[in-house]
Amino acid sequence: MDAGVLADFARGCAVLGSGGGGGPAAVTCPVAEQAIEECGPVQVVTAGELPEDVLVMPVGLIGSPAVAEERIGSRAEPARMRERVEALHGVPVAAVLISEIGGLNGCTAVAWAARLGLPLLDADAMGRAFPRMDQNVLELAGLRPGPTVLADEYGRTVVLDHVDGPWLEELARAVVATFGGHAASSEYPLTAGQAARHAVAGSVTRAVAVGRGEGPPPVLTGKVSSVRRTDEDATRVLLEGTGADAGRLVRVEARSEFVAAVEDGRALALVPDVIALVDVRTGWAVPVEEIRYGLRVRLVTLPSAPIWYSEAGLRLAGPAAFGVHGLTREATP
Amino acid sequence: MIIGVDVGPTGTDAVLLDGGGTGGVTGGSRALRAVRVPSLPGDAVGSLVAAVEALPRELRARASQLAVGLRVADRALAERAGLAHVGVLRIGGEAADTVRPLFGWPAELRDAVCAGTANVAGGGGLGPRDGAPLDRDAVARFGAELAGRAEAFAVCAVFAPADGTQEREAAGILRAEAGADVPVVLSGEIGSLGLLRRENATVLDAALCLLVARVADELTAALPLLGLAPGAAVLVTRHDGTLMSLDHLRRQPGLSLGSGPACTIRGAGLLGGVRDAVVADIGERRARVGALTAGYPQEAGPGGRIGGVPVSLRVPELLTVGAAAHRDLAEAVDRMQPAAGRLPVVLVGGGADSVPGRALPGCDVVRPEHGGVAGAFGAAASPVGGHHERIVRAGPGRRLDAVRDEVRDLARAGAVRAGADPRRVRTLLEPDLTVPYLPGALLLRARAFGPPLPL
Repeated sequence: MDAGVLADFARGCAVLGSGGGGGPAAVTCPVAEQAIEECGPVQVVTAGELPEDVLVMPVGLIGSPAVAEERIGSRAEPARMRERVEALHGVPVAAVLISEIGGLNGCTAVAWAARLGLPLLDADAMGRAFPRMDQNVLELAGLRPGPTVLADEYGRTVVLDHVDGPWLEELARAVVATFGGHAASSEYPLTAGQAARHAVAGSVTRAVAVGRGEGPPPVLTGKVSSVRRTDEDATRVLLEGTGADAGRLVRVEARSEFVAAVEDGRALALVPDVIALVDVRTGWAVPVEEIRYGLRVRLVTLPSAPIWYSEAGLRLAGPAAFGVHGLTREATP
Repeated sequence: MIIGVDVGPTGTDAVLLDGGGTGGVTGGSRALRAVRVPSLPGDAVGSLVAAVEALPRELRARASQLAVGLRVADRALAERAGLAHVGVLRIGGEAADTVRPLFGWPAELRDAVCAGTANVAGGGGLGPRDGAPLDRDAVARFGAELAGRAEAFAVCAVFAPADGTQEREAAGILRAEAGADVPVVLSGEIGSLGLLRRENATVLDAALCLLVARVADELTAALPLLGLAPGAAVLVTRHDGTLMSLDHLRRQPGLSLGSGPACTIRGAGLLGGVRDAVVADIGERRARVGALTAGYPQEAGPGGRIGGVPVSLRVPELLTVGAAAHRDLAEAVDRMQPAAGRLPVVLVGGGADSVPGRALPGCDVVRPEHGGVAGAFGAAASPVGGHHERIVRAGPGRRLDAVRDEVRDLARAGAVRAGADPRRVRTLLEPDLTVPYLPGALLLRARAFGPPLPL
């Protein structure tokens, strides 16, 4: 991955963010750009290319994007995190895994891989963006979150061990609050073999393809004809078809991310599907909080990794987990 | 009486208003005279003088206030001309070094502006314990190294909008090393959270300060020629649709960036008698569409750029389309509507008559008299302004009302620093905003408005 590919990748990550994931990489894209400029392009490999039992370090930022925009971080962080992870496991880190491909964390992992001189796996732990740290496919596979390493840019470090997914979420949020709203995190450490079996494969390739507009055609081209924030967490967006789609009306429901797109009472897409509204003028997917009346958008929907449609997957991150009622998904075995 | 002037690229407009002579006019003022003269290329003050002199002498003599949109800063950035060499000091050190200062700037703008950069240890956080101490020696070394080479300094500390102490301390050290007269611009006074955008805006400010100081001097020297009432206040436009004194322009030249469209939007609303509207300024070749919210231009969201550089400045949100492309214009107008309940559309600018009402179907179109001089009218009829915003975390023992009062007071202080009469400033607390993924945090914002302090 070089600087040219990075731009498409960041655009694709914004789509896979499904309206969340901390926005379209306003900070982390330049961070990755500079890291590549200083340390060279990043080698992207499939987990299967690595020996089965080597250690893979997942990375991402957690907390508030507004704080991350101010505290842009230290170039020394990746090495400190690697040192800490290696000390915990007693073996060297062989590759970096993106914790969350959707939103700003894809570029974060690219920057870290560049600075560490390590390959980046063509995979991630979500296949999209979700609000909770334990809403990932490694949790579904039964991997343990610990030891999870959380660190700020001064090197202050907290290790969470013997935690399950919900405990990880709760303790990590408390640590982030104490760190002032922002931290780097490496959770669900794993081997290359586990990554090959359980992580969402092909995420980087997919983000680049989506960023180049090579994904499926849009479900609808139209304009945002109303936005209603029904309470603190819920937003309802109406899309009015234009051009060839004139006359169509699609309702899009959002929490931290877009969770449902409904036309004539029928779900066009439903979480865990990826649902993105792409600004036709800029080509960038628009975060939920920036959707406003009059935006001209393409509604893009993509399926998530198959495991999200299993019974356990839907329980963790299906419609009910986001308080979406009246629309259900049948689990696929 | 008030004179408003808008120095455009081809023509300079001047209007004379019977605003009671104290500024802060929000309604009921009438344009008594409007004139237009050709602009003199590269001579904003000369253009201003020519336009004012085209107004009747006996009316000019009763003007107690002159408000001017000079647009010199925008032009300087577009042409990369007249910019100062800036020493860029970031206070964050190794904790904030993933993106270096001026990264991603267009090369020729960076070369025109940069005298040198440094990133020294220090910076703050959301809370008082989150930061690091300032490396004073490193600041002094940077100041000494650039003494005689940097014509101005830009200082940007992590979390300076929450606490500007380290920036002020660094400014003192830089002045001691590089000369007491060297302008030092502090990011905490320029923008809000978002280090890179705020730093960029601070650098642009510093780069513009010599140019605007020269223009302010020229304007001050030209004043006696204009034949205004003795002691008339002189103000310039800023990008939120308010005004500031020449002294404030010298301190914060970046506030004037984007002020041309801001004044046009505000003036269009005042001329059309509406406080909430979509405004389309139709020029010869281009049409610019913005929105008016409660009498002031709607600000652009994050992602704004000036001169190719991402900045955090409260510039108006604008869509630009070809003047003759009526379909694009209709779409731009619709995009600027806040909701389907359509606001009226105010058409101003020299080309307003070329847009038929049917080009904007379903819209209530307003074509105000004197719409061709909306920018000059907006300058004449605006108050001096100030604003302040701060992220706070609500929590036990945290008295939000007390913080709101403080934010309000700081907005008021900002307006007074910009030249408002302290006895007549009123403040407006904007609704609190929540901050995504930062539980309990609120963005508190206040604005302040007042007539200028009479000399």
